[in-house]
Amino acid sequence: MGKEETTKKGQDQEQEQDQNSQSSLMQKIQQLGQSNVPQAPDSNIHILPIIGQVEGHVQLPPKNKTTKYEHLIPQIIAIEQNPKIEGVIVLLNTVGGDVEAGLAISEMIASLSKPSVSIVLGGGHSIGVPIAVATDYSFIAETATMTIHPIRLTGLVIGVPQTFEYLDKMQERVINFVTHHSNVTEEKFKDLMFAKGNLTRDIGTNVIGDDAVECGLIDAVGGVSHAMKKLNELIGENKQQDQQVIQ
Amino acid sequence: MIHYTPLSDYDIIEDDLSSYEKHQTMTIDGKMCRVEQLDDGSYQLVQLLSTDPQDYLNQQYMPGTILTNGLST
Repeated sequence: MGKEETTKKGQDQEQEQDQNSQSSLMQKIQQLGQSNVPQAPDSNIHILPIIGQVEGHVQLPPKNKTTKYEHLIPQIIAIEQNPKIEGVIVLLNTVGGDVEAGLAISEMIASLSKPSVSIVLGGGHSIGVPIAVATDYSFIAETATMTIHPIRLTGLVIGVPQTFEYLDKMQERVINFVTHHSNVTEEKFKDLMFAKGNLTRDIGTNVIGDDAVECGLIDAVGGVSHAMKKLNELIGENKQQDQQVIQ
Repeated sequence: MIHYTPLSDYDIIEDDLSSYEKHQTMTIDGKMCRVEQLDDGSYQLVQLLSTDPQDYLNQQYMPGTILTNGLST
């Protein structure tokens, strides 16, 4: 009995010593600052994902995937302000949404002083079109599509001529933005918008990859690597310009 | 509000108002996230709202993660 106790005590002491030496080792490591886990360097390129519905002044039911402008706009300001961020990639896979919110996001992206590149993946429909062309350079994946169609109104209409005029002005805003920020002509864009026989339930056109580039809406067909390469190129040019200004 | 989308209004708008209450936005360790409250009262991370691509590599912010502690609303 007595023998067992002494061996047990001996083991306990050994364990305690072990723990003590371990904790002092840990302390030393901490003091030397060598226990830091290597962390990924801060990225100089940030991303703005535009997914699902672009949500405007009315909150959409949660079953929709949405992009909210009250989230995006402060993020764009933060990107503009942070000197560590040198470029932005806008990723689009959207089915459109609120006209005002979409145009607000487009204007914010277009007025960034830092280089921006967009990639349309899957779909960049309706109000996704001005957002896609708002960047300095735009890409579309080969299989991605963009639906261009007139702006419609559902529900109660009071005063047909006034409503028509209002809708026409809304449409004009979208057309103006797109033609100013891309190589597509107003005539061509309107042709696409009012084309008959292409869409089953609507007038308009569904442009796919190459077609979007051909009509001048998007700059090139490409994916992630193309976009990163182009953005790095633009960042380089931007830096050169800054240096010239300083000199 | 004018919706410019190829989807019909019926696809977007539904009548069930209770679904709104389950979703909210909160910050987790300084990053904004969209979360959904589950039936047992805990929260599940739905979407991370960040522009930093490195954040998406952080397992803490993986969509579907059940949040247990360290929450700040």
